[in-house]
Amino acid sequence: MITMENITKHYQLGEMEVPILNGIDVQIDAGEYVSIMGASGSGKSTLMNIMGCLDRASSGTYHLAGRELTTLNPDELAYIRNQHIGFVFQQFNLLPRATALENVMLPMVYAGVPKAERPLRAAAALTRVGLGDRLSNRPSQLSGGQQQRVAIARALVNQPAILLADEPTGALDTHTSHEVMALFNELHEQDITVVIITHEPDIAAQTQRNIRIQDGLIVPHE
Amino acid sequence: MAVEALWSNKLRSSLTMLGIIIGIGSVISLTSIGQGIQKSTEDSIRALGTDVLQVMAGSAESGGISQGQGSVTTLTWEDAQAIAQQAPSATIVSAYLQRAAQLVYGENNTSTTVYGTDLSYPDARNTFPQQGRFFTQEELDTSAAVVVIAPTVQKNLFPDSVNPVGESLRIQGEIYDVIGVMEAKGSQGPLDRDDVVYIPLTSMSARLIGNNALMGISVNGIYVKGEDESQLDAVTFQVENILRLRHDIETPEDDDFRVTNQADILETLSTVLDLLTLLIVAIASISLVVGGIGIANIMLVSVVERTREIGIRKALGATERDILSQFLTESVVVSVVGGCIGIVVGVGVTYVAAIALSFPFVISGSAIAIGVGLSTSVGLVAGVIPARNAARLDPIIALRSD
Repeated sequence: MITMENITKHYQLGEMEVPILNGIDVQIDAGEYVSIMGASGSGKSTLMNIMGCLDRASSGTYHLAGRELTTLNPDELAYIRNQHIGFVFQQFNLLPRATALENVMLPMVYAGVPKAERPLRAAAALTRVGLGDRLSNRPSQLSGGQQQRVAIARALVNQPAILLADEPTGALDTHTSHEVMALFNELHEQDITVVIITHEPDIAAQTQRNIRIQDGLIVPHE
Repeated sequence: MAVEALWSNKLRSSLTMLGIIIGIGSVISLTSIGQGIQKSTEDSIRALGTDVLQVMAGSAESGGISQGQGSVTTLTWEDAQAIAQQAPSATIVSAYLQRAAQLVYGENNTSTTVYGTDLSYPDARNTFPQQGRFFTQEELDTSAAVVVIAPTVQKNLFPDSVNPVGESLRIQGEIYDVIGVMEAKGSQGPLDRDDVVYIPLTSMSARLIGNNALMGISVNGIYVKGEDESQLDAVTFQVENILRLRHDIETPEDDDFRVTNQADILETLSTVLDLLTLLIVAIASISLVVGGIGIANIMLVSVVERTREIGIRKALGATERDILSQFLTESVVVSVVGGCIGIVVGVGVTYVAAIALSFPFVISGSAIAIGVGLSTSVGLVAGVIPARNAARLDPIIALRSD
């Protein structure tokens, strides 16, 4: 599913070149349930941005679903994000003025799904995450856990190759964190590829495989 | 999507629209008011007859200094009679003297313009009595004390209950019998063409001005009518030659008279009014530009405020083009809705102005088309920079912003 070879990333800060990733090799297979762990500043967010096609690597190769992505232009990357990647963010990132249903329909707008089909598929996705009765609520009328589930429904609605979650429980209390993790576990059982970026060991412990990042490099398993 | 964002910021959207409303409103109303005034001016000049030309006493220039028309009385009634007899293309010739005078009837008095003229005047000027009659040849020959009044004078002097025909009034102290009331001719700009009275030219000369008949009767001007408009050049040529012969003038530079015709005046006036309308519209367009800057400004603010939304949309697969068209649509919607309201406002203002200033209410389709076209292009131009800024945002930075 995902093959990254010798990925590096550095930012130019004036005269100085600041290295973030120093040669990452990652292989994630279809249906895997993976967590990426690391302290802040370790480069895990940058890795996730590159994996999610929000950013491009300075060098190295990245294959997603059989396609080489390092040479794509911004519009082609937008298409990959739309079709193959479902994002779940720490801060949910729902549009505050749109209802749950409208939020979930948004990726289909950019995918060019016929107008009549969008509400049906969005409602199905919301039902799948247990919010079938909250279709017309706005984010402000939902709890944090419910908002994150709307975000997960939105991430799933275009049937992406992988679900990429960046600290999905970071803004939630322990109880709702468990609920959201239970949902991820359930999605994994339905053969969806899930990658969770986190710094909490007990979240990482629920996944099949744990990748640790330190100073822009993957820490080998001891 | 774009409309929702605008609706959620109603106050801001409507204030932004206000600039466009004022801009389009003033363009539409000023164009239409300009056209209305132009039409009414042209109509009133045309009503005077474009097949008539006017000979004025006095030279256009005297020693390099322009003289007021009629300031020198070099034309005489005999000149008019000579034109009538000798100019083959002239069909109607009428001479007149004019003077401001005080009129009194009972307790009422009014200042008006008295025209001393001859029997051809109604035909030459296309103005006829609606009640009573104009004076006769006999009354002209005998310097009779008779007067034909126009509607404004009737209104100013006579109560509604009194039929003026058959009554007597005083002009500068002398008694005249009212024999007729002319039909209304309306106003020509600030000039009320119904605030006049007519008396025989001979009465005017002898009684009001006090010339003695031996000196001949000098006149302020002569109207000469040709068969139709196409004959005016021939008539002008004949009139000029007859007058030069009679006045012993060898070169046109020495002319002590001036021949003008309504068609020429109409043409000059149309050109001037066209130019004025264009100028006014150009000024009104400035407010449209200011309105466009207002839209651009608000859109720039809106892009900054919605950076995070743009980041979310990009993460979910929106291309630069999607974001660009979203923000362009917003600015065009604001501008076009504002433009439509502006058209309604402009038409309303024109309607009120048309009633208040009594000119015909004209709304040209082209003015409305220009309004719609202008507001769309203002929206597009104003939206381009903010929309491009939005489209080029880096999704990672946009997602991180608050």
